[in-house]
Amino acid sequence: MRVANMVPDMQYDLQLSQQSLSTALQQVTTGLRVNQPSDDPAAAATMSISLASSANVDQYTKNISSVTSQMQTADSSFSSMVTSLNTAVTLGTSGAGSTVSTANKQAIATELQGVLSSVVAQANASYQGVYLFAGSASSTLPLVPASTTYTSEAGTVAAPLTAAYPLTAGSVTSISDASTGKTFVFTATAGETIAQLSTAVANAATAGTLSAGTTATINATGQLAIGSNSSSKGIVVSTNDPALGAMNALPGTEVANSYAYVGNSAVNTVQVGESLGVATNVPGAQLFTSGANMIGSLNGLITALQSGTSAQIQTATTAVSTSLNSVSQQRVPLDNSISQLSSQESFLNQETLTLTTQQTALVGVNLATSATNLAQAETANSAVLAAAAKVLPQTLLNYLSQG
Amino acid sequence: MASLSSALSSAVQSLGADTSALEVTNNNIANANTPGYSRQVPVFQEAAPTEEGNLSVGNGVVLEGFQSVRDQLVTSQIQQETQAQGGANAQLASLQQIQPTFTTSTQDIGTQMSALFASLSGLSTDPTSSASREGVLAAGQNLAQAFNQTSTTLTSQQAGLNTQVTQDVSQINQITQQIAALNPQIAELTATGQDGGTLQDQQNQLVLNLSALTNVSVTQTPNGETLSTGNGTPLVEGSQSFALHTATGSNGMQQVLDQNGVNITASVTSGDLGGSIQTRDQTISGLLTSLDTLANQFGTAFNAAQAKGFDQNGKAGANFFNVPSTIAGSAANISVAITDPTKIAASSDGTAGSNGNLANLSAVQTTALPAGQTPGDAYAGLVFQVGSLASSATAESTATTASLLQLNDQLSSVSGVSIDEESTNLITFQTAYEAAARVVTTIQAMFSVTLAMGTAAAE
Repeated sequence: MRVANMVPDMQYDLQLSQQSLSTALQQVTTGLRVNQPSDDPAAAATMSISLASSANVDQYTKNISSVTSQMQTADSSFSSMVTSLNTAVTLGTSGAGSTVSTANKQAIATELQGVLSSVVAQANASYQGVYLFAGSASSTLPLVPASTTYTSEAGTVAAPLTAAYPLTAGSVTSISDASTGKTFVFTATAGETIAQLSTAVANAATAGTLSAGTTATINATGQLAIGSNSSSKGIVVSTNDPALGAMNALPGTEVANSYAYVGNSAVNTVQVGESLGVATNVPGAQLFTSGANMIGSLNGLITALQSGTSAQIQTATTAVSTSLNSVSQQRVPLDNSISQLSSQESFLNQETLTLTTQQTALVGVNLATSATNLAQAETANSAVLAAAAKVLPQTLLNYLSQG
Repeated sequence: MASLSSALSSAVQSLGADTSALEVTNNNIANANTPGYSRQVPVFQEAAPTEEGNLSVGNGVVLEGFQSVRDQLVTSQIQQETQAQGGANAQLASLQQIQPTFTTSTQDIGTQMSALFASLSGLSTDPTSSASREGVLAAGQNLAQAFNQTSTTLTSQQAGLNTQVTQDVSQINQITQQIAALNPQIAELTATGQDGGTLQDQQNQLVLNLSALTNVSVTQTPNGETLSTGNGTPLVEGSQSFALHTATGSNGMQQVLDQNGVNITASVTSGDLGGSIQTRDQTISGLLTSLDTLANQFGTAFNAAQAKGFDQNGKAGANFFNVPSTIAGSAANISVAITDPTKIAASSDGTAGSNGNLANLSAVQTTALPAGQTPGDAYAGLVFQVGSLASSATAESTATTASLLQLNDQLSSVSGVSIDEESTNLITFQTAYEAAARVVTTIQAMFSVTLAMGTAAAE
């Protein structure tokens, strides 16, 4: 074929060679084979999914780090409570003897009050502002001293509340009963009044949610008074109804050594793996005032030591012992979860490594290969340039002028 | 019997022919790098001999004219390949600008989506944490902005291509006018048996320029070249050109209309105009629809999960995202509906410390949207789509470039000017001229001798 002009071919070859050089250089400097989706569309798409998995794994690892401390704090509180209950059983056993004097029983009872305070302190333990045993009501103290009567801020002698006094729609009034270990919740709907609240409280008392005799009435000073039977262990009342104002314990009605659980039974689960969530809290509903009923059993032992017979003290001590066993059982899932977090953290570290390897295989370059490619591209480019430099000046006119 | 005069006349003809040949060589050398130029060769012919009895005496050379050396088949193939290259390059240019938006970075939708779900997961460890809630809100805003930004990139490209359509049509009209103006001049030359020469070169180059803009078919007629678009719409007939027009269509985009107002947009399939239209109306529109669908369905699913829970104040979860009621424009207009971080519905029971509903919000990541894929898979599908389109356009552009190089080599082997060849021609014609001049000198000397014969006899 007749060749008229080699310049276009030479320019094309130079362009191709420089493109190869540029690609090789980019791969060496970025360490990536895929710098944009068109370099390898399938790899770029898979990379997008893989990076999402990496982000999840990173977050799961952070979650483990975050909840492990919280759960270890809860476990530490459990440990203290178990120690306290063991102390209570020892004290109860020593006080149950028939030869123990009344003064010694009183002394033991006093010592037990200290144990109770310690248990309450542990039950109200918090981690970074989160009450560990309150269920999902984690921003409020779960164990609150109980009183027999609570009164509203609203209402005076001059301007007394009435049964027809309207409640704020959507407001919530709750009554936690130390005797039943249950909480009654009344959510006012539009148009409801104190009369409906009173009826609901009476019904709850009948149903056993609240102690028999619990009532909601208007007292002599015109306030809403929610009260329990004087022989009960008391209640704790709260409301967010602005029409009623805060519900406060009536001074002088506190029940000694009695606490009501105002938390709930909700369990928070935190995702620490693609299909693995761990319960991060142990709600106190089944620990303090019902179920294991730590507070109730300790309260019972103190009362027995203060005024009971040896048999009653023995029975109360057995109740504390039973509570201790129950608490120990409820601690097991928490300990298992902590252990599970540890092994999951190792798994996630391995998963991170796997994903990183996968991502490198998808879009990364082998450094040795890319360096070799760059050297080859440089050589090829030099060869093309050398060929161009040699061939392009080769013209007849050039020869003639030399001659 | 041949005379000195006839010999002198023949030598002078040679001088003239060689001079003209040198002019052709000179012109070839001068246009060696002129785009579209076809080399010319002088057409020599032996002059009719003089019959003298039994003798036939040659009368030298006659220059018949100049002939441009062309290969119409290869020229036609180059025009077609140029149309394909124009289309591929138009698509590639747009997709290269779109690609970075879909490349994994801190700004892309996939990364922001992952960040949102990671922030939700982080919130689950402490649903009352203000910092964690702020983190979720910020991640949601970043994701909405990533959707907005990606949509803006696509629509900006679409707007740019829309402008390009108008510019291309304007250029096409200019070129067809120039081609039509050349047709009568070329027809006049060819009617007298002459070569189209420079005018034909100019017209071929104009057709090539037109091919880079749109798909065009060329037919040779006695009146010159007739040009028409893919669907047969005439662009040039003889000395008349037919202008194309643009008008805004129902989709808000510029449509291409022929001289009768008929919409021929769909039939423009290659060249820069065809590539621009295809990228604008099919490629980018398809990507925008996928993106809008993802934004709309993701936002709706997230809001539905939010509605299942309660915010930090115990109220039912309100919409997290403002999602347009229609799919179209969803990516451009999606935004975060809440500004108060306590409005994130993490709780499943109304208490502030519950994280129960975060599981519902997180499940959006792994649950198929109505379109059939999870949000992450749908986005990965978009990344693949963009990458695949850009890769195909690159491959087509590379292939057409290589093909054009080969075709141009073929054409150059026929029509291209070789400096070496012209240099040898230069020497050849120079030598021939010198020889002819020597003949003239010799005849002149012979004339002198002949005239001297008379003078000597007189002396």
